[in-house]
Amino acid sequence: MDFGRRVLTVRRRRVAVRLEWRSVIVCAVLALAAAGMAVLALMTGSYQLSPGQVVSALSGGETGLVHDIVVEWRLPRVTAALVFGAALGVSGAVFQSMLRNPLADPGIIGFSEGSFTGALIVVLVVNGTYMQLVGAALVGGMATAVAVYVLAYRRGVQGFRLIVVGIGVSAMLMSLNRWLILQADLEQAIAAAAWNAGSLNGVSWDQVVIGGACVLVLLVLAGMLSRPMRQMELGDDAAASQGVRVSAARLALVVVGVALTATVTAASGPIAFISLVAPQIARRLARTAGITLAPAAVVGALLCLTADYVAQHIAPTPLPVGIITVMLGGGYLGWLLFTEARRRL
Amino acid sequence: MTSLALRQDGPGTVTVPGPRRRLVGLVAALLVLLVVLVLSVMIGSTAISPSVVWDALFHPSPDIDQFAIRDYRVPRTIVGLVVGVALGLSGALIQALTRNPLADAGILGVHAGASFAVTVAVGVLGVSDIRGYMWFAFAGALIVTLMVLALGSTRQGQSPVVMVLAGVCIGAVLGGVREALQLTNPDAFDAMRSWNAGSVVGRPLDLVWPILPFLAVALVLAFAVSGPLNALALGDELAVAQGVRLVPTRVLSVIALTLLAGGATAIAGPIVFVGLMVPHVARWIAGPHQRWIFAHSILLAPSLLLASDILGRVVMRPREIPVGVVTAFVGAPVLIALVRRKTASGL
Amino acid sequence: MNRKKRTPMTMTPLRRRGGALVAVLLSTTLVLSACGGGGEDSGNSAGATRTITADNGTIEIPADPQRVVALGNTSQPFIDIGGKPIGVTELSASELDPIPAEQKATFAAATNLGADTAEVDLEKLAGMKPDLILVQVPDSEFEGIEKELEAIAPTVFWGLDTEWKTFADALAEAGNLTDALSEQKTAFEEKVAKIKETHREVIADTSFVAVDRWDNADPGTFVITDFGCIEIAADDIGLNSPKAAEGDDPLGWTDLPFEQIAQLSKYDAILYPVDAEGQPKKAFAPVVESNTWKALPAVGSGRALGVFCPGNNSYGPVLKYLDSLDSALASLPAKG
Repeated sequence: MDFGRRVLTVRRRRVAVRLEWRSVIVCAVLALAAAGMAVLALMTGSYQLSPGQVVSALSGGETGLVHDIVVEWRLPRVTAALVFGAALGVSGAVFQSMLRNPLADPGIIGFSEGSFTGALIVVLVVNGTYMQLVGAALVGGMATAVAVYVLAYRRGVQGFRLIVVGIGVSAMLMSLNRWLILQADLEQAIAAAAWNAGSLNGVSWDQVVIGGACVLVLLVLAGMLSRPMRQMELGDDAAASQGVRVSAARLALVVVGVALTATVTAASGPIAFISLVAPQIARRLARTAGITLAPAAVVGALLCLTADYVAQHIAPTPLPVGIITVMLGGGYLGWLLFTEARRRL
Repeated sequence: MTSLALRQDGPGTVTVPGPRRRLVGLVAALLVLLVVLVLSVMIGSTAISPSVVWDALFHPSPDIDQFAIRDYRVPRTIVGLVVGVALGLSGALIQALTRNPLADAGILGVHAGASFAVTVAVGVLGVSDIRGYMWFAFAGALIVTLMVLALGSTRQGQSPVVMVLAGVCIGAVLGGVREALQLTNPDAFDAMRSWNAGSVVGRPLDLVWPILPFLAVALVLAFAVSGPLNALALGDELAVAQGVRLVPTRVLSVIALTLLAGGATAIAGPIVFVGLMVPHVARWIAGPHQRWIFAHSILLAPSLLLASDILGRVVMRPREIPVGVVTAFVGAPVLIALVRRKTASGL
Repeated sequence: MNRKKRTPMTMTPLRRRGGALVAVLLSTTLVLSACGGGGEDSGNSAGATRTITADNGTIEIPADPQRVVALGNTSQPFIDIGGKPIGVTELSASELDPIPAEQKATFAAATNLGADTAEVDLEKLAGMKPDLILVQVPDSEFEGIEKELEAIAPTVFWGLDTEWKTFADALAEAGNLTDALSEQKTAFEEKVAKIKETHREVIADTSFVAVDRWDNADPGTFVITDFGCIEIAADDIGLNSPKAAEGDDPLGWTDLPFEQIAQLSKYDAILYPVDAEGQPKKAFAPVVESNTWKALPAVGSGRALGVFCPGNNSYGPVLKYLDSLDSALASLPAKG
């Protein structure tokens, strides 16, 4: 059942060096693309500004509305998209590597529905503030992820079982959420629902700085865990024989992976599918055998920024970025399946 | 994996129930269904005495309480019966066809397809009546199921994981487009929500009758392929060796199950887990013979659906919970229990 | 999850919440920090200013604002008192339908800034150079864009639980349109007095119940409602109709299955929603078509009255409602 892994063991050692090379180049190219996208996003908008004005605003030469638009609106939004996208990409990479399954994703194992349940319960029981809502959403999401993990645990966690348990728990929470919405104060339910769509509109420096700091720390942690992570891809026994403390490492990976997604969720609401898709795109572009963190981070950043740009400027009416990522991600997955199905035939 | 449909209770104990158990089981299932049908007419949001219920059915008069019975409880019971039969049989078929005990029309994208089609019908084409968009739901369900089955098919048969994946991703894309459409057209969203609840309430019976012929055709097809499907459970090679022609069997099964699941979804909206759970119970009672599994599923599924509906009527009185919400809540633990069992973990 | 637009009708008088207070406190600090951030030279610096107090604190606004943007629920009530906003967020067809043609034209002439206030195109809004922004949305939605709006122009925000008369006063004050409003207010007072006088006896000894069915209701359900237009009839005219106990959710939030229609027989008269032509409102039609409804004593004796409620968030629609209520009460047969 672990379908990402077969490919992996076959060609691992033979081509390892060349692959690393390639992944460096791919990362560089993707980073350039993301930078280009960022420039585009800074330069364009419904408010007409000349490139000169934008540059001058960035270097502190403008005041008033022009300054606000470039420095207080566009820049934090672009930064948020890049940082949060990277966080989601790495989060997905950690999960997929750890579970040796291309489908593993905090969203698929019930994180989204669970965090919505948490948000709704706060709305309903303590009639809470926005911050409480966010906190409860995180707790709800993590608790659900843990519950799914535990329920799927039976002498180890197996990918398919995890996914199906995730689907089941998600469906159950979805119906619980619907029931909770029936109970909730209308305005509060709307607040929870609006939060649940995942949007970067009106994101402020406060959110970016706090969220970004958390993401940075977590990314460093993920980087530190990447060696045991790759060894565990070869199997628990193989990793253990190389001195990895498997269960401790796995726990640390779960915590880092969920915390990354949770941070993004707290700042912007759930942005779906980037964590699922980014590691897969990265793996194919970099042609690495396993899941690697750096390319996944860059792909995630680029995807999130592009999706937000599409949501803001290309869609007929401004949409929450979460809707675009769902479509992009789902479309990509479909294409993936289609090509894999063709290869099999 | 091939012998999944045969094994029931862990390794070594391959219990194949005898014909007696199957028959007794069938009679018991029929009795349960009858009891549930009666209860469904008796129990509701308002308390109506059994004598009024009796009169409403057998001595009709234009009394206001009698209308409540004849206009609401009887139709929703009939809708529940029809939808339940369709869901149960489609679940049994899809599980037999894919040899996957976790296959369910809902997981495989039927609901996503149907609700997407309804949104397009309401939001883009301006169809506003359930009579109109029901057919869109039907078509959407059929198309998406076929897409998922096609994506999930290999020469070796259907791959359960790929199929689940295909269902998830098609559902995600359609869901995204649907949400975008609804955001720009809130009125479409309103109309949509009333369909999307997964409910047997407020479906006029004259809406159900046109779907019935499709379901009847599917029923006949299902029983026609039940023999070959038995052989298919042992694996394609063995089935071919027994003279089963694979392609026609698969094609007919797919036609039957999409008609069933699509028809049920068109009438009631998305109702999850009934089609997943019931065939397991049926298999447990009836053993590995598809014909018997089908027969049991046909009787058990409406019982489960109507029992869930009755539960939804009483837990929050006077308000009601749509049956789709209840089945999800009841069904998810069953799904989890199933997937934790040894037999399923062999996948 | 849904991000449904809110009809003012379903939203109006919610209870005050702790959250609102927090939002106000929070917004004050944000206003202060925004001032430091260089927003001071935006807006109408040339003209005279005055201050207004709303849910986001005390705001300095132009004495006679010329370029007003009306977001969320403010657009229709603002247009109703003669305002001509230059930018609005979309209204759904069902919200736009009942408003008069010339108001519709005013709405259509305004620039569309997005389908939803949470996703409002802030840069487009900034590009319009408004001198005043009016907002009525859920508190949480406003929190997300408050700072940005205040950087563009003076922003006046009201929560969804603002009472409609207070809201009209505040909108008129903000938009410098108090003259147009006072005409409407006079008309309202006269109308209320006339109805109370004409139907004194009916009002005194009839038990009414108002029913409705929301556009997004589950099939086979309806509600007994105690907010929206019926609240005006109860509070201003004095109609006797069921109301949720203090501290409970409004009755109109509880979807009742059609079986419960039979329970309406304990009231003398039923008020149900109709459109401008007097036909049952589209969403409500399934109730009227049901046999249970037809079997109700009130329906059989002509004591089920269709009332047209084009909106309950500003005087224009409320006046139309009162006209409709007036003729409905006049058609009520004497109690047998």
